Amino acid sequence: MSSKNKSGKTGLIFFPAFDWAISPTHPEREERLLYTRDQIFEEGLMDLPSIEEYKPRLAEKKDIARAHFCVPDVESQVTEAHLIAAGSTLTLADALEKGEIRNGFALVRPPGHHSMRVVHGNRGFCNINNMAIMVEYLRTKYGHKKIAVIDTDVHHGDGTQEIFWHDPDVLCISFHQDGHTLYPGSGFVNEMGGPQALARTLNIPLPPGTTDEGIHYVLDNLIMPVLDEFKPDLILNSAGQDNHYTDPLANMRVSANGYARLNEKLAPDLCVLEGGYAVETALPYVNTGIIQAMAGLDYSHVREPDFVPGRFVQSEEMKREIAHTVTQVQKIWEQRDELVEEALEGLGDFYRRKRRIFYDTDMINENQEEVVRLCPDCAGYMTINTSAQRGYGILNSAFCVTIPRGACSSCRDDAKEEYAEHLDDRRIGYVLMQDKDKDKFKFYNNMTRTEKGY
Amino acid sequence: MLIGIDVGGTTTDAVVVDGNAVVKTAYVPTDHDNLLNCMLMAMDELVRGIDTKKIERVVLSTTLITNMIAEGKTDPVALVLIPGPGTNPKDYALGESIVLDGAIDFRGKEIDVLREPQIKEAASKIKAQGKSRVAVVGKFCQRNHSHELKAGEILASALPGSRIELGHRVSGQLNFPRRAATTLLTAATKDRYAQFAGDVARALKERRISAPVYILKADGGTLPLDKSVEMPVETIFSGPAASIMGVMALTEPSQTSVVVDIGGTTTDLALILSGKPLLSAKGARVGSLLTHVRAFAVKSVAIGGDSAVTVNGGSLAVGPHRDGSPLCMGGRGPTPTDALRVLGMSKIGDAVLAERAMQTVAEKLGCNSKQAAQKVVDAVVDKIVLEVNEMFREWEQEPAYRIWEIMSKEAISAQNVVGVGGGAPPLVPLVAARLGAAAIVPKYAPVANAIGAAVARPTLTLNLHIDTEKGEYNVAEEGISGRVTDRKMTPDDAEKMARRLLAERAARLGISEYASEAEVTYSEVFNMIRGWSTAGRLLDVRMEIPAGLLASWGRC
Repeated sequence: MSSKNKSGKTGLIFFPAFDWAISPTHPEREERLLYTRDQIFEEGLMDLPSIEEYKPRLAEKKDIARAHFCVPDVESQVTEAHLIAAGSTLTLADALEKGEIRNGFALVRPPGHHSMRVVHGNRGFCNINNMAIMVEYLRTKYGHKKIAVIDTDVHHGDGTQEIFWHDPDVLCISFHQDGHTLYPGSGFVNEMGGPQALARTLNIPLPPGTTDEGIHYVLDNLIMPVLDEFKPDLILNSAGQDNHYTDPLANMRVSANGYARLNEKLAPDLCVLEGGYAVETALPYVNTGIIQAMAGLDYSHVREPDFVPGRFVQSEEMKREIAHTVTQVQKIWEQRDELVEEALEGLGDFYRRKRRIFYDTDMINENQEEVVRLCPDCAGYMTINTSAQRGYGILNSAFCVTIPRGACSSCRDDAKEEYAEHLDDRRIGYVLMQDKDKDKFKFYNNMTRTEKGY
Repeated sequence: MLIGIDVGGTTTDAVVVDGNAVVKTAYVPTDHDNLLNCMLMAMDELVRGIDTKKIERVVLSTTLITNMIAEGKTDPVALVLIPGPGTNPKDYALGESIVLDGAIDFRGKEIDVLREPQIKEAASKIKAQGKSRVAVVGKFCQRNHSHELKAGEILASALPGSRIELGHRVSGQLNFPRRAATTLLTAATKDRYAQFAGDVARALKERRISAPVYILKADGGTLPLDKSVEMPVETIFSGPAASIMGVMALTEPSQTSVVVDIGGTTTDLALILSGKPLLSAKGARVGSLLTHVRAFAVKSVAIGGDSAVTVNGGSLAVGPHRDGSPLCMGGRGPTPTDALRVLGMSKIGDAVLAERAMQTVAEKLGCNSKQAAQKVVDAVVDKIVLEVNEMFREWEQEPAYRIWEIMSKEAISAQNVVGVGGGAPPLVPLVAARLGAAAIVPKYAPVANAIGAAVARPTLTLNLHIDTEKGEYNVAEEGISGRVTDRKMTPDDAEKMARRLLAERAARLGISEYASEAEVTYSEVFNMIRGWSTAGRLLDVRMEIPAGLLASWGRC
């Protein structure tokens, strides 16, 4: 059950990475959380008895490898800043599980929700997926089964969706500005998850200009009822703040109050900051509101200087559009069991898909072929054949194998065989093994013929 | 010759220091109802037979403000807040307040205007309450003083003869509720403190002591008595600060030490990290209020020589309460003091009575009195060691906001355990052994506090904030602001500017000779990017003359 009824403090980790930027003028730069720092420190929020500030720790390589196939290895894909941001979520996860806090907010950068299972570089300002790393940690260390991730960033949480695509126990719900009008161009209603996990990925694309009223309509009519039925152990919020009406990279009209109210309603156990780039006009107010809502404090005094209630009104057409999308997704959710049944009927022992993934930040084109065994006895092992080209630069390729938690012996044996077969195959650069069942991770370099593991 | 007097909770300790020698010491019991008097008694005893013309400096450390606040003897103050958007002011435990419209943001930009009629209304309300002291504090008013100044002006003219304190003068650092609390306490104590300072000055004049008089602050620094009336709250907790400065004076420099001050019912713990006393991260807690007052991080543990020893269902507990004096000293016992006497670790008190005290414990535990005494001492040492380790852990866990801060902070451990206070000598070696550190009980441990006061040098802090996009700088504590023209100002330029401003502040406070000791303790610079180009820079520099010892003091 969600711990929303527990009493206790709200844990907060503030890690603004004041010495890290993608580039000096990039939206993801040192200054991003400066005014947020000023506001929450000036408010004295950390001194309030209902809030406990924690110091971040560095995530271990193993924590990263549990969620990602970093090619060629974890150290090549992450910097200290990424390890600290990811480690912050783990520190709060531990505090929650130990009962020190009733909920927590990792107000950290760099963000993560565009990072997918395979990592060749930075996509959408993200290298590694903090949220997914926390989910995998919570499941491995604390044995949680069902987890709901609600992505409230204005961009589709495509990385998180992709990592849990085949997992029926992780419900990924993302509402976002319609992919026709915004990066990453995905997140449509028909993206519903892999055949074994259909409708455990739910996407709610919203028209540009959606207001507080719109997102609360989605919450009240779709997300909250779905959560009531899914009954997750934990509710997690990928708390982007770029639905704000002043965000320079998107076109929505949500206010700080709307975001605070969202968190009060959703009552997430843990929140992780994602995007949000209106550094002066939104972030200081939205973050203050979210912290207050999580800590059960009065957030009604948080107001952007230029905001007046009733400033943004949705047209009737926009309301109809949102209501229509919600109805479509409701149907998908209601038919979840039949959808899975039907999908599996038409498939044999394996499910295959080919994909192309573009890394906008690093200009990398990746080609993947993914194969999942549709195993009657376990979640089934998975292999991914990936190759990625950076600009006109070198081609990096890898063969990745995942053994799922609770793997049956046949899947385990076959997965190990797949791994062994690809060792020393000179057409592939690296062979990676993710044994989630035994929590062991291997990286083999086919050129140097060396293996290392975490 | 230097004089140091520490008016402590139970005794007032005083020393005369000449060069690096302690020439004379004196003790008188502290009279809480007349601190001035007991201070003067100690002074009179000290200077008897000494040529007062040779006295170069007098430093006082007093519990005046601490007591005033603890006993609720402060003056009533009306708190006027200009909170702007954010937290509901009711969520701050600041007591009753009057809330005004108007708001300044983090950049010092006015985002909502003051409303004059509302301020006048506030004035009538304050008048009706019969209050003549007002604290006016606005959120982000350290970045733009105009609202506090304007509101203060209107209130002053509507309330003739009243004392108005403005928040930005208290601290340039972020944290509005702490600034409000500190301003409130300043207004509540200023008049009485000024009277005390005047009395001290007169009494010394009568005694023909013409040396400059300083007061010790919570951060271990001194400030001329006549200037300290501007910031009375900073003199709070000067007692522990005096002890820590005393330990600095009596031990090797640059080492990491735990200072253990074991008293009757409490043990005060403090850390000196590589020769620098650890300050509490954000400021001192004064009663129920969190403030901006810079103070050494002192942890009070409810255990001491007089703590009651109890046995409940076969398990032993020491403290936290006191049940009279130790039995060996004519009290009701049993206490750790009795246990130490039984083990022959101290000569304090009557051996037979101590034995009787431990016998009662032994019976309940089913052992002999020596074993019982050992268990009591172990329990005390366990508790102190636990709390020391917790202090180090808390220091390691202090939040950090930059990668390098997180990567470079390493766990450290104590080299020394330094004991001061009456209960320290027998227990310090035991605590030190457990922590793998050297035990030090300095020769002058009983008057370490007075020595600390005598040889402490001034401290000073200055916060400079520069916004080159707006072309402005300000130093909130000084209430000054001005123009900067260089949009690409570097941290180096800002630090140079801070040094110059600090020298001016030091001169105003009469401590010019120490300005050259100032260090940059914090410096940050952010490029403000608007669109894809740099619109300006935000620079913050904190410059401090840190706690330290007079150059004339060669360490013992």
